[in-house]
Amino acid sequence: MILGFLPVDSFNVIVLAAVFVLVATGLHFTFGMLNVVNLVHGELILIGAYTTLQMQRTTGNVLLGMALAPLVAAAIGVAMERGVLRFLYDRPLDSLLATFGLSVIIRQVVQFIFSPNPQIVRSPIGGSFLLAGFNIPWWRLIIVLVTGGLIIGVIGFLGRSRFGLHARGTVANPRLAETMGINSGFVRAGLFALGSAIAGLAGAMLAPISTLNPQFGLLFLVNSFLVVIIGGKGSLRGLVVAGIVLGGTLAALQFVMSTVLAQILILAIAIIGVRLRPLLGLLRESNRDPGSIATYSDPIYPQNS
Amino acid sequence: MTPLLEVEDLATGYGQTQVLRGVSFSVRPGEVACIMGRNGAGKTTLLRALMGVLPMTGAVRLSGTDISRWPGHRIHATGMVWVPQEDSVFPGLTVRDHLAIALKDRIDEDEGLAAAGELFPVLGQRLGQEAQTLSGGERKMLALAQALIVKPQVVLMDEPTEGVAPVVVQELIPTIAASTQGAGVVLVEQNIDTALALGETAYLIEQGSVVISGTVRDLHDRGIFEQRLAL
Repeated sequence: MILGFLPVDSFNVIVLAAVFVLVATGLHFTFGMLNVVNLVHGELILIGAYTTLQMQRTTGNVLLGMALAPLVAAAIGVAMERGVLRFLYDRPLDSLLATFGLSVIIRQVVQFIFSPNPQIVRSPIGGSFLLAGFNIPWWRLIIVLVTGGLIIGVIGFLGRSRFGLHARGTVANPRLAETMGINSGFVRAGLFALGSAIAGLAGAMLAPISTLNPQFGLLFLVNSFLVVIIGGKGSLRGLVVAGIVLGGTLAALQFVMSTVLAQILILAIAIIGVRLRPLLGLLRESNRDPGSIATYSDPIYPQNS
Repeated sequence: MTPLLEVEDLATGYGQTQVLRGVSFSVRPGEVACIMGRNGAGKTTLLRALMGVLPMTGAVRLSGTDISRWPGHRIHATGMVWVPQEDSVFPGLTVRDHLAIALKDRIDEDEGLAAAGELFPVLGQRLGQEAQTLSGGERKMLALAQALIVKPQVVLMDEPTEGVAPVVVQELIPTIAASTQGAGVVLVEQNIDTALALGETAYLIEQGSVVISGTVRDLHDRGIFEQRLAL
């Protein structure tokens, strides 16, 4: 039975793997690097999707909406970070509560403005083509390519740019970084903006392949956290591997069982993955991995002093 | 001569616990002021407060500008740098990364790396090595290089020779002396030999306040250190 489906739908395995990586990449910045249990991540995806919808309505230009979506999400992300979350970096439970509250507010505002009814964002590039007997929808291929490009760009940016260097220093030890001349507040705000922008881009890219409603972001929240945690919090390389494994497995399981059952199995795989990761060492956090974070004991400002 | 650094009635601590109160001293260009005291006297806490890590009351003026409410990165940019006592490397970052962070836009990176290599040749040979894999002495050298290559106005040094092999200390002291000429230095030190080699004036802290001040040589000759530091 599986063999009958695989040749036809194997491209969907690749697409779902890319979707998992795409939605989790923004969370890599806010949760993986900044350590904020960012429950508003789903709503940043939602903002990207509804920005695209709004531009489709007002200008008819979906691509313009997709270009604006990261900017709008980044602006809202920075406002949240500067206005609320920057006071809570040392208080993880409070930041969890704050992001939960912000997510509820954003969802309600979106529902108020756009109604709870399902909406459709049309694909800016429709149609499909045949490749070696596979039917490849253009837009899904573009999602895969954009995700690949995004990952390469993020690795290059964090690994080679001055901001990336300062970000890695700030993430490793914000107080030490500050005394070495790094404006850690600016770096944190920048990282939150980048994470939010990527979440907004993900929402914009994914809106045309699903039905849009105010719960849209929640669809991706849990899987984003699973990918970042299983990949090794703070490790981009691990995130990509975990996204491919979880997304690909979910797509394959959906051929033979219901989506709900498949998602439950994915959760079970995730739990096993977290338990086995230290033994396997496959997704070990690497100090060489740009953006990887190490647990540190703060020598500059001991918490118990 | 106008002081480079003036500290007036400084008080600070951790949360509800006050560690220092009423601390005042000043440092002229080219002067090395030693902050002495027993363990727990508040010497390191003083440097943390000066560098903007801890909240404080009182006034800190750098070249006449009040910097007492400034964040650390702004203090650093103005020319006051800190060599912490504790391990101060970022996990995963190379020696080159550490030096690049210190340099920012102030000096051309190649020039800065060459300066670090001149100060401590071993660092020049290990630019691509992860800093956390350096030995303890090499990490001290890296922390010193980060502070000194930016040509600071004021250097805060927290026991720069602590935990370093005596043979390395013999190398460090002349290097520190040569590379801080013209700058003001606040040196927290418990080692009398290092204080005598580098220091000019000394401030003895007990129970959170400066209780005795004078020249290092005079306090040493009068046996103050032996009496008050239980040496």
